[in-house]
Amino acid sequence: MAERVYITGMGMITAIGDDVAGNLQSLRSKQSGLGFTSHLDTIYKEKLPVAEVKYTTLQLSEIAGVAGIDGYTRTTLLGLIAMREALAQAGITDVQQEPTAFINASTVGGMCDTENVYFDIVNPDKTGDFLKFIDTLDCADCTQRIADTIGITEHIATISTACSSSANALMYGARLIKAGLTRRVICGGTEALTRFTLNGFNSLKNIDKHPCRPFDNQRNGLNLGEGAAYMVLESESLVKENNSVVLAELSGYANTNEAFHPTSPSPDGDGAYAAMKDALAMSGRTIADVQYVNVHGTATLTNDVSEGKALQRLFGETVPKFSSTKPFTGHTLAAAGAIEAIYSVLAIRHQLVFPNLNFTERMEELYVAPETQLLEGYPIQHVISNSFGFGGNNASLVISNYEG
Amino acid sequence: MKGKCYIQGMAAISPQQTFEGDLSAQPIVISSSNMLSCVEPDYRAFIPGNSLRRMSRILKMGLTAALKALQDSGIETPGAIVTGTGKGSLQDTERFIKEIRDYNEQALNPTPFIQSTYNAVNGLIALQQKCTQYNNTFVHRGFSFENALLDSMLLLHEGKTDVLAGAFEEITTEHFYIKSRIGQWKSENISNDTLYQHFSPGTISGEGAAFFLLSSTSTNKTYAELAGLKMLYKPSLEKLDTALQTFLKQQGVQPEEIDLVLTGRNADINYERYYHVLDTRLGNIPQLPFKHLCGEYDTAGAFALWLGAQLLKTQQLPVQWFPMLQSPPAKLRNLLIYNNFFGEQHVFMLLKAI
Amino acid sequence: MEELKKKLKVQIIEALNLQDTRPEDILDNAPLFGEGLGLDSIDSLELMVLLERSYQIKVEDPREGRKILQSVQSMAEFIQSKQPA
Repeated sequence: MAERVYITGMGMITAIGDDVAGNLQSLRSKQSGLGFTSHLDTIYKEKLPVAEVKYTTLQLSEIAGVAGIDGYTRTTLLGLIAMREALAQAGITDVQQEPTAFINASTVGGMCDTENVYFDIVNPDKTGDFLKFIDTLDCADCTQRIADTIGITEHIATISTACSSSANALMYGARLIKAGLTRRVICGGTEALTRFTLNGFNSLKNIDKHPCRPFDNQRNGLNLGEGAAYMVLESESLVKENNSVVLAELSGYANTNEAFHPTSPSPDGDGAYAAMKDALAMSGRTIADVQYVNVHGTATLTNDVSEGKALQRLFGETVPKFSSTKPFTGHTLAAAGAIEAIYSVLAIRHQLVFPNLNFTERMEELYVAPETQLLEGYPIQHVISNSFGFGGNNASLVISNYEG
Repeated sequence: MKGKCYIQGMAAISPQQTFEGDLSAQPIVISSSNMLSCVEPDYRAFIPGNSLRRMSRILKMGLTAALKALQDSGIETPGAIVTGTGKGSLQDTERFIKEIRDYNEQALNPTPFIQSTYNAVNGLIALQQKCTQYNNTFVHRGFSFENALLDSMLLLHEGKTDVLAGAFEEITTEHFYIKSRIGQWKSENISNDTLYQHFSPGTISGEGAAFFLLSSTSTNKTYAELAGLKMLYKPSLEKLDTALQTFLKQQGVQPEEIDLVLTGRNADINYERYYHVLDTRLGNIPQLPFKHLCGEYDTAGAFALWLGAQLLKTQQLPVQWFPMLQSPPAKLRNLLIYNNFFGEQHVFMLLKAI
Repeated sequence: MEELKKKLKVQIIEALNLQDTRPEDILDNAPLFGEGLGLDSIDSLELMVLLERSYQIKVEDPREGRKILQSVQSMAEFIQSKQPA
């Protein structure tokens, strides 16, 4: 019998809060993190809204406790801050006490810093400080620096499946536990805003010039965001042994592929439907047990049709409350899955449904609409959290109340 | 973790003639620069023209190696697709960075951005073979492919069948230059067949794509069994030595039962000490290096696995590829692979003949 | 107009790397997407880049883009309508 997988720690930093408590407060007070960038060097500075973490990279290095040490990119620093909180919440002071694996997620590694010095790096006539960023471009850099800083020496990995990356990191970690390869694993992702991704999504013409409007008939694209989030996952036996405080259970998950188009989901949401259905089946629950879905809801034309259709197919006439929290955090790509998994835990623990901001008009393709109000005292036992990405990568997680 | 993992089909595109036919007939491909490039097949035999026109080099290489491995196994649609790549499509990343600058962030072509995404190759394989199941991409230097393998083994353990696992990596002149600035390559130009005569700081760079169809049951087509896999992150020499012993013990294999060790030795004096652990612990076991054939890159372990499985299946060494070989082992049953990537990610794999 | 269409066909072939297509294979009114040349939504984005880079015409809304990019004819008409008389 495979072990159950429990969430015993969480840490995060996003545009709406420096930690989990800060995020919860902003969600409750409908405080969006969207605005114009002050750190990114781009011609879209005052044109395209983003959800930026308000600190400079230097300030982040101070918060992360590594000020003055070379080679920490913004991606790494965001991750390190979230990691420290997750460890603290799980009561882990020394990661060496129990062999601890680390599964990270990243979409463009240290691009945030390398893109500013890239043309110096490739220019033989230039030399200087920038050389310390040479080895930070790839995705493993942030993972290893975080691991090295906090002393993780066991199994490490980095996953990159675009917007579903950290949901897949959580899934991989849970599977390592279930297979008995580790009893504790820290999973999540980190993402810093870059000119590269901003221009990438803009070249696909799916960035909205206004704050994004998920599931709205007038929606016109996403806004990018940055942040990091990690969860400490522990096996049932380790939890019992240590008497760990359990925040929630990661009870189900599934990964499917659209096999439809490099950047677009299938119009009927085949992959999203299969991911949610399989994840729910694994958790041993039925559709009647789900009270809230934290949707991927990027507000792109195609995602919301596809995901909405999938919700209708799975739940029929009884679609539970659902909302996209992307108008708060922006789309944080590799970090999104873990950030929203934490929001799902918060929804259960505080009995909250978070509002889907900026919604006014139901989509003509759908008969369902997202929840626009903050619902307090809403009885939530099980949440589905969706993360869908380029390359047709779909991931759904089921997070359940811990019944002890 | 219970369950077996058998290689049922495979394919490799590499700096050697590995894509077609009988290895024993292929001469070693020699390069006089320190940047080995793949011998590329005719992609049109695998990818429809309308898809091919947009694809950059590594996408073609990755997709074609994947399709050939499927073809080799006789499986059209795999039960899962899991890959590893350290750097993804460098060509597209470089192109998009330049276009952002050259066009001042305006009127940008989205194709290089899309293709720079690390999971682009996975998406293409899924798309072309209509595989709607599990799909994952690992991007962690010398653990990229190995995590893809571990994930595949987990999938087989969980009851999935026919898992397609693979790796792909390219080197560009620009990236070669970038990494030369932190001393990854030898300062003197050498010919790859003489690599091990040039012990000095740095090595030679390489690239390649290799894919494997993995299954929990063996058939008469099976190349080899992947019996064990162990990753070690920045181990000390002592830890590496202990881990090697534990690994063999866990596999129920005595050191003397190993017939051959494929080593990632790359004549880089900075990391040679790790290979000495192997020399000491497995002193009497024949060793063969493989980096003179494929060069150094994040997912060179996939080339080693391909080579090892090939040797076990054919029970034949392409002697012309191994000028350093003194006496080939009479019989190959247990083959150990040890590799490390610039001293950080260390991997053991144990392959068994069927 | 005829000159413009001829030029557009050459540019389309080059931009989308349509190796086996000659300019004369593309009929003025034949649909570029779906049945016709078999182009997809990424091609449509690339064609919008072509309009922007070669003709300085910016198409903001992808839905509008789809109409403009129906055929070489519609593209040429659109370009002409945007150029100073």
